[in-house]
Amino acid sequence: MKWMKRQQMIGYLFILPSIIGVSIFFLFPLLFSLVLSFTNWSGPSGRGTEFIGMENFQRILGDEVFRQAFFNNFLYLIHVPIAVFLGFLVAVFLNRSVYMKNALRAVFFLPYLISPIAIGFVWMLLFHPSEGPINVMLMSLGVDNPPGWLSSTGSSMYAIIIMSAWQIMGFNIIIYLAALQGVPRELEEACSMDGAKKWQITRYVTFPFVSPITLFLLIIGVANAFKNFGLIQAVTGGGPGNSTTILPLYVYQTAFRYYELGYASTIAIILFLVIFAITLLQWLGQKKWVHY
Amino acid sequence: MSSQEKIKNKSPKKINYYKLIMTIVMTFTGLVMIIPFFWMLSTSFKSPAEIFEYPIQWIPSTFNLGPHERVWFGEFSFFTYYWNSIKIAVIGTAGATFIGAMAAYGFARIPFKGRNGLFVLYLMMMMVPPQVLFVPKFIMFDFAGIYNTHWALILPTIFTIIGVFYMRQFFLTIPHAISESAFIDGAGHFRIFFQIFLPLAKPAIATFAILDFSWNWNNYEDALVFLISEHLFTVPLGLDNFVMEFSVDYAGMMAAATASVLPIVLIFIIGQRYIIEGVASSAVKG
Repeated sequence: MKWMKRQQMIGYLFILPSIIGVSIFFLFPLLFSLVLSFTNWSGPSGRGTEFIGMENFQRILGDEVFRQAFFNNFLYLIHVPIAVFLGFLVAVFLNRSVYMKNALRAVFFLPYLISPIAIGFVWMLLFHPSEGPINVMLMSLGVDNPPGWLSSTGSSMYAIIIMSAWQIMGFNIIIYLAALQGVPRELEEACSMDGAKKWQITRYVTFPFVSPITLFLLIIGVANAFKNFGLIQAVTGGGPGNSTTILPLYVYQTAFRYYELGYASTIAIILFLVIFAITLLQWLGQKKWVHY
Repeated sequence: MSSQEKIKNKSPKKINYYKLIMTIVMTFTGLVMIIPFFWMLSTSFKSPAEIFEYPIQWIPSTFNLGPHERVWFGEFSFFTYYWNSIKIAVIGTAGATFIGAMAAYGFARIPFKGRNGLFVLYLMMMMVPPQVLFVPKFIMFDFAGIYNTHWALILPTIFTIIGVFYMRQFFLTIPHAISESAFIDGAGHFRIFFQIFLPLAKPAIATFAILDFSWNWNNYEDALVFLISEHLFTVPLGLDNFVMEFSVDYAGMMAAATASVLPIVLIFIIGQRYIIEGVASSAVKG
């Protein structure tokens, strides 16, 4: 019995390092951030910091850049359903009938592992407005006024959307491919014997079957779209104008370009709430289309 | 003979024909996916005049090594960035794998009071966007004197949350009977962990380590926030720096981009099967 007690104590030792670390580097900063959001803390030392109540939250309501970043972020979200939909199609094709399935799978997955900023700089040149291969190709195809992509306010976000969709698609493909292994062959074959066309089977049998995975990919993708800003920071810095500024980037710039750490914390807390609300909505909305 | 085989035997030729066309179509689509990489590599060897030539010269007329020289031996040397990144990624990954595996074992096998509540707390921590933590961490690190040191990047990654999830997921699949019989034979948790769980979970642990390494290698945001001295820069930050300094040296930019993706591409080529299967199984099971 004594030995069992000792083993129990040893058990705690296994989790203790992780608990201490998570408390210091995740839990405490999270709570600290909440406190900061009610202060006017600026600069690292925060000399002269005062509690200013709800002032930061009121300021957000009138903050033009925040509003723009908020809407930009929702526009940016488009890349998630695009990448999920294309990922599903590619996975269905790869799963159904190709040779070299594993090699192709690897090719599609590679962009996902690669540093977004390294590949962002490659895209930046590909999207070069006057000389980049994409616009040169468009012009040779007869498009007289190809978009300015990253250099114009009207198209910059769409260039970012294309890059991001391209980058996360491979992840979706891999997850779908694994999920498709669970779709019973017999079911699809029975439908095809009954005269259903291939696309009908895909739409009415395969797609509902993997719908929990679709929900999972949408939730993950949307959450990440409110977290990652490295690509945008490196490639456009949020510009031109504020056309590619999204919320996480605005947090970063407020904190580390203008050193308004209190206000940046307030925006970050709002950002957290937005992610939470959207995840919740997706979760509640699943009844309509997700089948278990 | 199952119905499945019957269908196949009816028209084997037709199916293969279809399969061949699909393979060609998907190979073409796949090539389009990785075209940016080819363009990057090919451009990194070009002279300025050749870069935007159309139609695209995939193989440059002369292999110009100048851009790569500027990246590795120029004013901002990638050797420094590589060394910093390797140091951070190796220490961070080793620490995360070890501490994560221990905690995963605890969550999977050791019953203690409040375990489920604690696990839910971990789950919630995963949802917290990193931006929420940047500001408080900046203040804390500045206070503790580790701002603008590599520790600011290494320490938080060691206490991985996703790693605990991933390895716990795998530990749960190890039959209880194995650890129980070891327990009855008098083996303690330490022996069970080191001599049974770690060897059995090698593939899962290796997959996590590879993924974690690539996350650490690609981590740009933390480096951007916590490092300001050039000699401490990691590869992504160094690349960013290079592009800002030499914004019109396109070949140099592509050489720098090539240098920064190279280790991950190599690791992926060697371990792609494990990586892909690891990613797939973690998500589908979870």
